[in-house]
Amino acid sequence: MSTNGTPTSNGKYALDLQDVHCYYGSFRAVKGVNLKLQEKKITAFIGPSGCGKSTVLRSLNRMNDLIPGGRVEGRILFRGKNLYDPDVDPVEVRRRIGMVFQKPNPFPKSIYDNIAWGAKINGFKGNMKELVEQSLRSAALWEEVKDKLDQSGLGLSGGQQQRLCIARAIATQPEIILMDEPCSALDPIATLKIEDLMRELVKNYTIVIVTHNMQQAARASDYTAYYLMDKSDRAGELVEYGETDQLFTNPKDKRTEDYITGRFG
Amino acid sequence: MSQETQPSDIGQYPEGDNLKHFIENRKRGGLVWRVSFQIATILAILALIALLYNIINGAFGYVAIQNKVDPNSLVLAMEENQMLSSSGTVSSEDDNELVDGIEGNPNAIGFFGYAYYNDNRDKLKAISVDGQAPSRETAESGDYPLARPLFIYSAADIMQENPAIGAFVDYYLTNVNSVIEDVGYFPISDDLLNEATTAWSAAAGEQADALQAYTANPAEVSDHDISISGSSTVYPLTRQLAIQFRRAGFQGGLDLQQTGTTAGFRAFCEDMTTGISNASRPINRAEIEACESNKRTPVEFRVGTDALAVVVSSENTFLENVTKDELRQIFTSAETWSEVNPDWPNEPIERFIPGADSGTLDFFAETVFDRQLEALTEPELIEILKANLSTGLLRRFDAEAPLVERSQPELVDLVLERVVEQQVVQSWELTESIFDRAEIEETVAAIPQGELQWRSWLTPAFLVTPQSSTPELAGIRTALFGTLWVIAITILVALPVGVGAAIYLEEYAIMVANPTLRRINAIIQTNINNLAGVPSIIYGILGLAIFVRAIEPITSGMLFGVSDPTTANGRTIISASLTLALLILPLIIINAQEAIRAVPNSLRQAGMGLGATRWQTIWSHVLPSAIPGILTGNILAMSRAIGETAPLVVIGASTFITVDPTGPFSKFTVLPIQIYQWTSRPQAEFRNIAAAAIIVLLILLLTLNASAVLLRNRYSRRLS
Repeated sequence: MSTNGTPTSNGKYALDLQDVHCYYGSFRAVKGVNLKLQEKKITAFIGPSGCGKSTVLRSLNRMNDLIPGGRVEGRILFRGKNLYDPDVDPVEVRRRIGMVFQKPNPFPKSIYDNIAWGAKINGFKGNMKELVEQSLRSAALWEEVKDKLDQSGLGLSGGQQQRLCIARAIATQPEIILMDEPCSALDPIATLKIEDLMRELVKNYTIVIVTHNMQQAARASDYTAYYLMDKSDRAGELVEYGETDQLFTNPKDKRTEDYITGRFG
Repeated sequence: MSQETQPSDIGQYPEGDNLKHFIENRKRGGLVWRVSFQIATILAILALIALLYNIINGAFGYVAIQNKVDPNSLVLAMEENQMLSSSGTVSSEDDNELVDGIEGNPNAIGFFGYAYYNDNRDKLKAISVDGQAPSRETAESGDYPLARPLFIYSAADIMQENPAIGAFVDYYLTNVNSVIEDVGYFPISDDLLNEATTAWSAAAGEQADALQAYTANPAEVSDHDISISGSSTVYPLTRQLAIQFRRAGFQGGLDLQQTGTTAGFRAFCEDMTTGISNASRPINRAEIEACESNKRTPVEFRVGTDALAVVVSSENTFLENVTKDELRQIFTSAETWSEVNPDWPNEPIERFIPGADSGTLDFFAETVFDRQLEALTEPELIEILKANLSTGLLRRFDAEAPLVERSQPELVDLVLERVVEQQVVQSWELTESIFDRAEIEETVAAIPQGELQWRSWLTPAFLVTPQSSTPELAGIRTALFGTLWVIAITILVALPVGVGAAIYLEEYAIMVANPTLRRINAIIQTNINNLAGVPSIIYGILGLAIFVRAIEPITSGMLFGVSDPTTANGRTIISASLTLALLILPLIIINAQEAIRAVPNSLRQAGMGLGATRWQTIWSHVLPSAIPGILTGNILAMSRAIGETAPLVVIGASTFITVDPTGPFSKFTVLPIQIYQWTSRPQAEFRNIAAAAIIVLLILLLTLNASAVLLRNRYSRRLS
């Protein structure tokens, strides 16, 4: 029914989506996604608005649970275990699979507390100052904020706020970081910084990013998945998944080609 | 969509002059709205001003005060007592004893009527006071401080209607100088006597001749009665002349009383029970007005002069002149002469003074001391209290706060309250006080012993005094404590419950998947919204049924063993608080829901995305962000609860209570009920204190609100 697939790779899979269907109440938003996400690679989800790419992303750390009526069918295997098994606690899932949102959303607290809070509630024992510094360094923010750690996170610029959110996600030491259009609210320079940061982070983390920006997907990602809404039942589906270079230069599906060449819509 | 569509095909917009007019018209339409909004705002402000005006108008203004006991007479009595009880003082009603005591004793001093000194000039020496030597001339002119004029008063119409009085006054003036020295006073000069006679002739008018004929033969007017009262100083003189008048043949009734000058004038001017009034001071303006309002014009006749002589023995060499202040010390506290004046010998003062019953002692004390109640020292005030209050009452006051430790103004207040028994007989509003001052003064002048005083009904004492049935003594202490207790417990109950309910409804209820539960939640939500509009009296009935009656063992405190037998019926602070908590719960819930809903979802996602539980996210991020909004709702709810009267009336708040509430199980009253109760009293003064209580209520409300706003602002600042 869909041309899902998995590109050949030597790497291990971080997540394995098997026939995933996402529902909001009785409405099926995404249907039949089969996808294996490569470990320590950047995978980009692209597609037009309403194609279900964000829904799929949120289902990866059970953030969809937070939406009234949100529910997922199918299996998403993480370390060989289905994330949606009844004995899996979504709280633990979210600690392992961090998330960065479209709009920078630091807590209305100090920069330090923004990072320390997540560590604290997850029971981190150790040198909190060190953890904060390390996280901020990993997010390439340390040099900019090291003198004002006690100031409100809301006082930073948009790009800095987004990097603070990344640092916050890193601090809980997840394995996968999900990014939901992290640069859509940022200017081009801030966007480039985030992309550089992603390239740096991918050495240690698996990154999944949803983006509207095809150049960004082409520039920054290793793999790309293209989603499109099936006009017959308004459910999103995975059209094509492959190595980014290959997908952009030599798409297999006509619909993918239409989209990346701008002939879509 | 074709780009070629011509706009003119389907219609057009106004252009040119039309456009101008069109815009103007639209602006005019806006102007009408703007003006009506402005008018609405102005009306609201006017209503507010009218409200404040009403309250302030009642809380300040003039009052007429009347004393049950003349404070001056209290001071006098206390001072006389001091004089009489000083060590080394001999007092006697018999002037001869005083003369004998002073005679030949250089350290002795005393005083008595000048006439008596005159008889003993060979043994005694009269000394000057304030540089004035006593003599007939200095006494008559008033230069000698220890002298006072003596008068009788009558009126033209009395003398003409009652020839006996007309004749007696004439007889009085003709014969006074022949008897006055025997009585002990100075005769007046011929000039003054002539003035008095002229005044009599003028008052007698056409009947002067006829009256003079009766003077020669008083028997002819025996069918009339004479009634006299007034000064006890003038009394012996008038008595002497009355005896002679009777001897001359007068057979009619002759009633002669000694009541004091002021009471004499009251009988003469207001009650009109006397025809002649004896007086040791001139009549004052208020008394003249009182007379004239009864169509009586008082006529004054000077009949003599009274003077006291301060005497020492002829052997005394050091005392020639004393000041009034020295006199005061000599006759009260000082023990030796040198204490008063270092130039005088270091010998004990031996005092010889007339007894307590004599008018001479009164006069001396009045003239020499001349002090107001407010100027007395603490021990003196305590002395007054001890002399005038029962021991039981004294013990009670001592138990409240030891008298010796109270400050002078406190003691003055206590004397005024308990001994003088100052009473407000009439009160005026602020505007009246400002604009009708003259009229008010006139009214007060007509009140016997009335005194005009500016009064703020809102005083520190008003806040700390319990309820009383006398408006000027009443305070709101009990109601204030009641309100604070009730509000504190109400908020303690309603805030956590209300915020808790809001958190459930906003954060948890929406995640419920079960359709039955969802429906129940929706019903709860609708009910809460509707409850906010239920009339408060219904909550009162609910509170009565549940808190006062059904769970009485709990609300009366019996279950906790703290029951007070007078409140064992459950009409307690805790019942009131629970009822008010129910009343404001919907308000708090709805506002807290709004506040929680306003917290951006991204904050929740951020928290949950980090692996926080829902509660951790709520506690650390949602609630702190919602607190400003929750506090706003709390302010509204608190304001509502403070001002609520109806439900508390239903559950039975006390209307008259003087005991402070001591805890949740006390009976109580609150400010609005106190105010309501006062405004329904007939006496105008209760409305004054009601206005003052309203001001207190408003200030309390504003203070609570301001602190909540400050708290809210601090939170808001911390978050940004």
